[in-house]
Parts: sequence; C-alpha cells; structure tokens
Amino acid sequence: MTGSGADMSDPDVVVVGAGGDAPALAWRLGQQGIDVLLLEAGPFHGNEQFPAPHSERGNTASASTDDLSGDLLDQQFTAREGDMGSPVDGKLRWGPADAERAPWARTVPQTGVISQVAGVGGTTLHYYGNHPRAFVPSINEQPHWPIDYADLVPYYQHLESVHPVKPAPTTPKAELFFEGARRSGYDLTTGLNVEDEGYRPFPNAIHQPDEALRRDGDYDGDFRDVSGDTLACHEHQGGPHPRGADFEERAKRGSLTSLVPKALATGHVEIRPNAFATEVLTRAGPGPLEACGVEYRDTWTGRTRRVFADAVVLAAGCIETPRLWLNSGLPDDGWVGKGLTTHHFDFVSGTFDSDTLEDVIGQRKVEPHQGQAAGSRLDVPGKGGIAVNTFAPGITASVMFSESIDGFAFENDTTGEPWDTHGRVTGTKLKEEMSDYRRMLTLICHTDDRPRQDNGVTLDSATEDEHGPVARIDWSPHPEDDERRDDLARRASKLLDEAGANHIHRAGAAPILLHLQSSMAMGKVLDSGGEALSVDRLFVADHSALANGVGGANPTHTGQALALRTAEHLADRYFDGVSDPIPANPTPASADD
Amino acid sequence: MSYARGTIAALVDAVVPETPAVGDDVQAAGALDIDLDETVETAFNELQEAPEGPIRSLGYETMPFAPLLALLLDVGALELILKREREAPLQSPDERFAGGPFSRLAREDRMRAIRLLEADGVVPGLDETYDAPIGIVAYLMQGALFITAMAAYSDWGDDSERPQGWEQADYPGPADGYAVHMGYEVDEFEENDYGADAEEGDAE
Repeated sequence: MTGSGADMSDPDVVVVGAGGDAPALAWRLGQQGIDVLLLEAGPFHGNEQFPAPHSERGNTASASTDDLSGDLLDQQFTAREGDMGSPVDGKLRWGPADAERAPWARTVPQTGVISQVAGVGGTTLHYYGNHPRAFVPSINEQPHWPIDYADLVPYYQHLESVHPVKPAPTTPKAELFFEGARRSGYDLTTGLNVEDEGYRPFPNAIHQPDEALRRDGDYDGDFRDVSGDTLACHEHQGGPHPRGADFEERAKRGSLTSLVPKALATGHVEIRPNAFATEVLTRAGPGPLEACGVEYRDTWTGRTRRVFADAVVLAAGCIETPRLWLNSGLPDDGWVGKGLTTHHFDFVSGTFDSDTLEDVIGQRKVEPHQGQAAGSRLDVPGKGGIAVNTFAPGITASVMFSESIDGFAFENDTTGEPWDTHGRVTGTKLKEEMSDYRRMLTLICHTDDRPRQDNGVTLDSATEDEHGPVARIDWSPHPEDDERRDDLARRASKLLDEAGANHIHRAGAAPILLHLQSSMAMGKVLDSGGEALSVDRLFVADHSALANGVGGANPTHTGQALALRTAEHLADRYFDGVSDPIPANPTPASADD
Repeated sequence: MSYARGTIAALVDAVVPETPAVGDDVQAAGALDIDLDETVETAFNELQEAPEGPIRSLGYETMPFAPLLALLLDVGALELILKREREAPLQSPDERFAGGPFSRLAREDRMRAIRLLEADGVVPGLDETYDAPIGIVAYLMQGALFITAMAAYSDWGDDSERPQGWEQADYPGPADGYAVHMGYEVDEFEENDYGADAEEGDAE
C-alpha cells in the first residue's frame, strides 16, 4: 500500500470524475466534514489555477471558490460552435485538456455518434439545463429499481431549490410548440410528478430571465445590465451568459457553475483536473474485496500517482466507469457495463411559412437561435418525451440532417407517412433545408428504451491507450424500443403539422451516445445505497448507477438526486453519518390522498 | 493534391455542393469554396490518438484515418459500380478530386457507395463472418457525414468572423442575448400527488 507514487494529500474519499453528478456527492460529503478529492480527466475552465487550460497544465488542484473566475470563463467560452463544440478539437470534447492532442479513443463498431465532454462539469458543460424528475411509473412500475420514487423526492426538492429549477419562460419557439400541442389535444401539466401525457414548459436549471427582456418591451441594452438568463441560446456552447457576471451567477446551472462552487465552499473538497484514473486499488477486507484508493495519470506530464482513501466513488460516466472497473480486474457477474440505455433519440423538424408564423406567434420567423435551447416539452410516460431542441446551424446540419440509421432521404419513399422526408439529407436538399434555418423548429424524441444485457460497454483488448484497453460500446434498440420511438416521431410530426408546418423531416437518428444511463445499475451491480455488491467501500455516483433510463426524461436531475442520496449512505456506512438530513417537503406526495 | 484529400473533396462536394444555378451568391457557394476537404482530412487524421502498438511504432501519434477513409470510399464506389447499382453515368473527376472510382461517381451515387459501406454491402457482411469490429467502418462513415455537415455550417470549417455556413443559414453568430421573453405558461410547478392507481409500486 505504500509506494513512491503515493499522493501527498490524505482524503477521506476519492472520487473518479467531477462531471455532472460527482459535485453533488462531493458537496454533500463536504457538508459532513468529510475530506473529498475529485480526480477529473479533463480541464477545469474558469479557474485561476488553470488560466490557459488548453495550452498549459497550470497548477495541480483547486480547493477554493477564490479560484473561480467569471472573467476567465468569458475568455474561454466564446460561444462559437466549432471552437467550443467540435468533437475533434473543440474545448468541450472527450479528450485531454491539451488542445495539441487528439481525443481519447473509443471503439464503436456501428453507425453512431458519441457526444460526451471531459472537464469539470462533464457533459453538463454542454447540456441544456433540463431538470425534469423521472417519470413516476419508470421507477415504481418498471421492474428495474430497488428503491421507490418517493425515496428520490426529497433530493429532487433539494436540488430544485438550490440550483434552482424553475419553469422555463415562454419564447416564440416555445409558444409555437405549445400551440401545436394544444391543437393536438394535449393538456397542460403543472405537477412535478409526472404520470400522464401532457405538455409543459421544461423544468430548467437556468435562472429565469430578467423581466426587462420582454418581447413586447423596449429593452435596448447590452445584456450585461440584467440578471438571469439572457435568452442567448448558447447552452450547447457552454452557456456562459450573462457576460461579465460573477462565476456563480451564470444563468445556466451546469455543475461547473452551480454545484462545484457549493462543494468547494465547504472547505473539504479539492478538485484535481488533468488526472485520468487508471486503476481502482483494492485490498482483502473482512468480507469481499475492499477498495482503498485510485491510481491515476497526469494527462500533461504522464506521471502516475496513487491516492488512498477510506472509500472510493466512481463517477466517470456510463462508459469510463465500467471501463475503469474492468481494467482494474474487479469482479463481474455479467452486468458490469451492461444494461446501457441511451434514450434512442430521434429528431423531427418542421419548416413554416412566414404568414403562418405571423398568425401563430406574431413574428415571421421561428428564430431557433433565440431563447432557451430547450424550454418546452411533451411528456408521454411509457413511451418517452418530445422536446424543442434547438441548435446553432452546425449542429442542426449534423444532428438533424446528417446522422441516421435509415439511409438517405433521396432513397426513402415517405408516401403515407406524416413526414415529407426521412433519413440523411445531402446536396442541394441540405442547402435548401439550411437556408430555411430561421423558419425551422427542431424537436428531439427521447425514447423510454429499456435496459438489456446485450447493450453496453466491454473492453477492446486490441486497442490500448495510455490508460489501458479502451472501451468498446455496442448498443442496438429492441423492437419494442423502436416502436416507442416511432410513436414519438409520429406525435412530434402531428404536433408540427397542427402548428402549421409546411415541410416535416424525420431524421431516423443513429444511436447518439449523449444521454447515457444504467450501465452499472443499482439492483444489478450496486446495492440500494449505491455501493458495489462485490466490492466494499466502492460506490458509483454517476448516471451509470441509474437502474434504467428514467422513462425518457432527461437524466441529470435523477443522477444528481441519486448522487446526493449515495453520499448520505456513504457517510452513514463509513463515517459519522449525516448531521443535517435533507427533509422531504411536507406536502403530501403519496397515494393516500 | 493527395489521394486522401482529393477523395475527401468528392465527399464534401456531394454533401454541400456548389450550386451556381440558384443565382444567389450566398447560397451558391459549396464546401469546396471554404476548403472543407482540408478541414475534414485534418479532422480524420486527428480523430484519435494512435494506440500503443505497430501504428505508433511507425511514427504516427494519431491514427491516419484520412487515407483510410479515402480508401474505404473507393472500395464502396467500386462495389457500387460492379453491382451495377449506379444511377448516373461515371464522370470525369473534378480537377480538385482524386482519380479513384469514388471521385468519378455522380453526387447521389457517392452517397449510395457510403450506404454499401455502412449497411448493405460486402464490408458490413464481413461482420457476421469474422469476429472483428468491422462495424467501425460504419462508425467512420457516420463520422464523415457528421463532421462534414457540422464543419460546413459552423466556424469549424470556416473560422472567419462570419463563416459561410452561418451566412447561408442567416445565423447572426453568437449573441449576448435576445429580448424574447413572453411570460410563463406555468408560474410554478406543484408538488402533486401521484401513485393513485399504482398503489404497490413494485412490479418485481
């Protein structure tokens, strides 16, 4: 257990990853006085210890909110699409902080796209701030979860008050969606606990906009004199607005700006970016194996170090958590890395003529680049969800028109279908679609795909990088998942048609590995407290711990809620417990009304 | 012009062609007008670090995927030609293209060649014959189209202040905000009851 590479620091808990969920766990542990070290493979943006994170290593770690800098965030997050989001050389990519280097390898032997981000905040760096709770039946009626929906509610409530999570404002594109939903016969949903079909504004972890920004008002400022969301629609590019605000006052409540400052403020949390974990260290315990530390490699210097702790938490995401587990030689009863769900996305777009838009929303263009990127949705428990999902043109062209498992639009006959074109669009047709960008509304379908043991992560022993054999990802939909997705695509098309679209396109999307869940599922690999069934003192606190895809609702809220809950179980089992239990809101939330 | 670059030029030209007939200067320009062949070639050669092993020992720090992409496109084109599934005659390659079969196909036929590589042709058929991840070919084809489209319509492919693709989409570029707030469809969500007809909540 000793060695020349032993780390100087002496945390109580070491966490692999500082992405969307781990900061919630670290914050909760830090509140109990438990010292936590987070090892993050990617960069730390907006931090004075790392002033140029993509060109030089900077310092080693950050442990204070004094390091967080809104000015640096403004410099680094330019809101330009390629600069921020190119999966090859953008600042928000799955790869080392060093921009001179290529992304890290994965093996994907099928048509598909991976969209993950390395860095403090993880994939919440480019998420849209969407925080719906799980659909109630996905937890209480599907057979996957060992805990009840009610067990999550106090943690949902806690996050809703701290981020906070609020109804998204109506904007022109949201009103167009709402009108299509009303004309399709759906009712408005106003409850947080969703069991029935209905449309609603997204519960978003984005500060609501300043009232000065009313469409019918006369705002004429530079958007630095307002607080809250400026409706700039740059969530995917990091969402740094409002410009000039303090780090913690940025409107989009990604983990970087919302939970990380809270974790650091406890005085018990240290985050070390540029640290790629390569092995979970174990020793024989009183029962099964016992985790005692982590070996990691500095992505700039190549130096390997070891850090020891009383407990280890894996929060490297649905792909890297099982990869690290398997590369560490930990036990596998057949479900490690398996049961991966992806929400089997599809995309449907509608293009509108200006007179129709004038009638429905009082302006002659949709303006997809204005307002929250995803501010309105339709819930269809049992099938999934449909949401407005808008992007700048580069992502629109790639996601909406260039990735599909259904071939090319020019070869697909759509007679009798509710969409006019289906599949990839190229050539002059692509140029026509893109020239209509500002009159286009794009929707995403999130399918309630179910966990299956065939889907997931294994090691590609033939492809090894400096961190060991890389992850191989295989995912294909079950015919029932395809049926649910088809149902959602038809509903989306009807909604666009009812809103008045004159041209509808369905992508028939290829698997997009963006929403990822359940590859280290509670009930399969983990017990109901988030601890590994086969290794003591080893916990998982990322979306891989979810027992399924939470019905097709965006998973971040549930991932963070579960991470808070897992932190409390960890504190109970190996430390002095929790001094300030998170209370459930006394409002009744049960059947016996 | 290298073989890889010239074959990729035929790819990006098929995805976002020059269309002089539309008579609109902004919309007429195509991917080759912003040298997207170079962007995609570079992207493919920087897609992934070379794994430990023979490729690294040959001196490559990253996987040389661009020549592989070009070769695969020609394999797909050859299969399309041999199977007589072309729908348009072969043509003399544009001067910016390489001389292989992919560069000689009409634009939609180039997409048909890609379809053979990822789903319908001889290469995906090998997946069932050999215990190897042949499907990586399909992943690379998807990547080629995704990267081409994203780069063509963003600053990735044209890092000028106002990229060609943004101009074609009439996208004004990053903004500090928009005054488009129209109030709230729901003022506050409520902590509603649930579970009325699912009392047990345990399907196990």
